[in-house]
Amino acid sequence: MFKIDQYAYANRLGAVHPAEKFAFAVVTMIVCIVFSSMLTSLAVILLMSFITVRRAGIPGRFYLKLLSIPLSFLVVSVVTIAFTVSRETYQFIYGFTVWNLHLGITARDLDVAVNLFFKSLGAVSCLYFLSLTTSMVEIMSVLKRIRVPLLFIELMGLVYRFVFVLMETAGQIHTAQSARWGYASFRNSYRSLGQLISNLFIKSYHRSQMLFTALLARCYTDELNVIEPGYPVSAKNVLMIVLVELALVAMSLFTGGGLFGGIYS
Amino acid sequence: MAEYILEAGDVEFSYPDGTKALKGVNILIEKGKKVAFLGANGAGKTTLFLHFNGILRPNRGKIRFQGRDVGYGHAALLELRKNVGIVFQDPDNQLFSASVLQEISFGPLNLGLSREDVLQRVRAAMAATEITELERRPTHLLSYGQKKRVCIADVLAMHPMVMICDEPTACLDPKLARHMMELFDQISREGKTVILSTHDVDLAYSWADYIYLMKDGAVAGEGKPESIFRNETLLERTGMERPWLVDMYLELSKKGWLSNSVPLPRTKEELFGIIETDAGMSHVKCCVL
Repeated sequence: MFKIDQYAYANRLGAVHPAEKFAFAVVTMIVCIVFSSMLTSLAVILLMSFITVRRAGIPGRFYLKLLSIPLSFLVVSVVTIAFTVSRETYQFIYGFTVWNLHLGITARDLDVAVNLFFKSLGAVSCLYFLSLTTSMVEIMSVLKRIRVPLLFIELMGLVYRFVFVLMETAGQIHTAQSARWGYASFRNSYRSLGQLISNLFIKSYHRSQMLFTALLARCYTDELNVIEPGYPVSAKNVLMIVLVELALVAMSLFTGGGLFGGIYS
Repeated sequence: MAEYILEAGDVEFSYPDGTKALKGVNILIEKGKKVAFLGANGAGKTTLFLHFNGILRPNRGKIRFQGRDVGYGHAALLELRKNVGIVFQDPDNQLFSASVLQEISFGPLNLGLSREDVLQRVRAAMAATEITELERRPTHLLSYGQKKRVCIADVLAMHPMVMICDEPTACLDPKLARHMMELFDQISREGKTVILSTHDVDLAYSWADYIYLMKDGAVAGEGKPESIFRNETLLERTGMERPWLVDMYLELSKKGWLSNSVPLPRTKEELFGIIETDAGMSHVKCCVL
């Protein structure tokens, strides 16, 4: 998670307008989800992977590792969709019977499962593109521009800022405890961890008080006003995004991937 | 007559848990001066600073800014906080934003300035604290010293008349600490009143125009650095160390190597200058005789 954050600040697409990246990721994801064509999903995965690794300069190994994280959840859910358990026999393309229960895969279910698998992976690759190339600060500035409630954005910002402070504090407490045999045995670990967590709560509370004082000292009045840095809008990028999305849509329609087609047909 | 920008008159304050933090504090801060507060942890320095900025309100006594009693209405407080800025000790308690640029823009934006003015002030504050290259870096990836500078830029961007810093050199290595003091000198040269608290007597002695010694929620002593550190009974009572420059000077005087007319040196360089001319001369005299 911290590595993703670091790449978000240090990638080759860092200077690109965050709204462009945001729009690209979100629109591609919508296209990927709306059109049920395996070709579309595959195209999205390849496109996003290519841009993330080649254009943004995220190391390929790290990217593959990231993609493999949702894989385990995905495989489990896809398998449950593909298999049918029933007392009656369907037209299984593969199946077996245990006592009176028939277990098997129908052609349609297999189609749905495979489609879903690639569709999910496509959506994930879009989100990875966004989180690896766009920092939280930039995402928040885009959210602000599309009129997401300010309270929500301020909370997001504070949580993001203090996750790091809290992690650091937790690390320090953990080190201090380890240095005094805090984690030497199961019993010790159990107790130490409890103390660590309760301590973190107290410290967070204390910190929130101090932060509030510090904000007051700088004329805080109910709103965390901050300036939005300007980014240059690139007409070339906007045109590229439009063209890519149109091409994706066209390809999906021509290859017979109707709207929400695969799943419900 | 001297013009006092901040005054505390008989200020008493207790925290809700009953701790009596200030017990009748009297302070007069001259406009444009460099003032240092010395004192052990828990002497009441931070509590006093929070009074100067209107965060805390005295139970008894008065805080005065530019000769007028501080009001505690909404508008009066904002006006006070615009003019008296505090840099807090722990940067992680002050920095709320993950973006350095946004962090510094918070104060000036609250003053209701236009976007251009804010951006210009932010850039100027970043240049003054030498953090311009950190603009696009996230706050959590900065070093401690860098965070500290961002905190100072936070307050500088509001263009306060008085800048208060709570232990600005704590946890900094000697080189960074010296750098920090040079920054305060520069801020002071621009006509701002600079107030800071520290445990470092050498630093306070060389830097400050005026020093307050605090102990147990009260002012134990005050004065110019040259006089306050020669007050034996005061130092003994407060347990304060003498700066090494004063020690050195007293030792040289005792040995008779300095003529009585030589003033107390404020910096290492001044002391070396004195040794060069004065002690050197008497040494020559010794040999000749």
